[in-house]
Amino acid sequence: MASVPTALSSFILIGLLVADVPLNSQTLFPSSEPFTPSAPTKAGGHHLQTLQAQYKALSEQLSRLKPHQPYILVDTARNHLYVKRRQEIVLDAIASTGSGTILDKPGEGNDQWVFDTPRGEFLVQSKLTHPAWVKPDWAFIEEGQEVPTNQADRVEQGVLGEYALGFGKGYFIHGTLYTRFLGKNVTHGCIRLNDGDLKRVYTFARIGTPIIIF
Amino acid sequence: MSFCAVLFMLLLMGAPSQAGDLEAFPDLNLNDPGAVQEAARVLHEEIKLAARPQTYLLIDLVTSTIHIKGRGVELHRVPIVAWSAKALHNLKGTHRLIVRPPVVRRKIDPTASVEQEPISLADMPVGYTLSFTPALIIDVAPVAGENPFQWLKARGKAWWRSLKDETLSLSTGQSATQGPHLQLEVSAEQAQSLAWSAVDGMALVVRRRADK
Repeated sequence: MASVPTALSSFILIGLLVADVPLNSQTLFPSSEPFTPSAPTKAGGHHLQTLQAQYKALSEQLSRLKPHQPYILVDTARNHLYVKRRQEIVLDAIASTGSGTILDKPGEGNDQWVFDTPRGEFLVQSKLTHPAWVKPDWAFIEEGQEVPTNQADRVEQGVLGEYALGFGKGYFIHGTLYTRFLGKNVTHGCIRLNDGDLKRVYTFARIGTPIIIF
Repeated sequence: MSFCAVLFMLLLMGAPSQAGDLEAFPDLNLNDPGAVQEAARVLHEEIKLAARPQTYLLIDLVTSTIHIKGRGVELHRVPIVAWSAKALHNLKGTHRLIVRPPVVRRKIDPTASVEQEPISLADMPVGYTLSFTPALIIDVAPVAGENPFQWLKARGKAWWRSLKDETLSLSTGQSATQGPHLQLEVSAEQAQSLAWSAVDGMALVVRRRADK
């Protein structure tokens, strides 16, 4: 109950701060020159106050850059996917991420596929139900099979689970038949979840939900 | 009670918690001008990094912590057990990792019946050197007790680098212009974790201690 007035007052406070302080570092420290506050002088009190004001304004600016909407966080080293709302963990799911293995591309010199999950920040670009897997060339080559010329021969149903969330360049968060591999780096770059966690992530995510992967 | 009075009371109630939430470095002694100046410098750099869709590193020598961050949010933290530094006064702005630590990747053989083992944290090195641009070298080594060989190797490398600088300085008669150099000791597992998370071109900002 007490959080309502606090939140309201915080909102108002932020509004006032936004009105009072410069909006970005360029405004605070004009031009692209390095930020070098002057060294402390004997008129220390005033100088210290200026530094404190700069520090607080910058702290607020950084705080405003933090995601204020819920986001998905993926730890590829420990194979966990989290749904977070600010500092709160809404969901902690065991995942499978990229295996880091490599596969030579046939007839293309030294070109290779590297099966890493991409790192950085992405956005949910698509939400699919009952997704079909359109197998890329590597899926055939790593099995020692011929790459089919007929596109229909690439389509495989029922291997990606009930849902898939696309985050660009052919990468998806999807389900798996191989739940025993969850917690391990076994994928070709996609992020696998069990059925229950996948459904929760699908329900929670919107188009544009940030996905931060490290 | 007038609207202004209500607003004023609400502001008073909300201000302390808001200030706490917005504090970028809760450990900061706000009465130490040097420390505040350094914190502001780091924040200025971090704001530029957090404004873009990327992950980046913040090495905080005040709290002995390496933070992996994105959008100003801490994604993972690596505690530093011990550290030493040279020429940190030469540090300027944001540094970019030239190349991530090496990892031996296994190649898939389509003709083999056995599947290749994927890489894991255990495949990552525990002792390595990270080179950045503008010039900054960071040696990462596991704590002595965990891996004495790697620790000795890192110490030997640092000693050799120092000897080369001294020799050059003596032969040219000029003081060697040292680039900034950090030596970090972390647990073996955390060294592997950091090696895993580091990617080519990753940005880094270092927060120095005011007395260094």
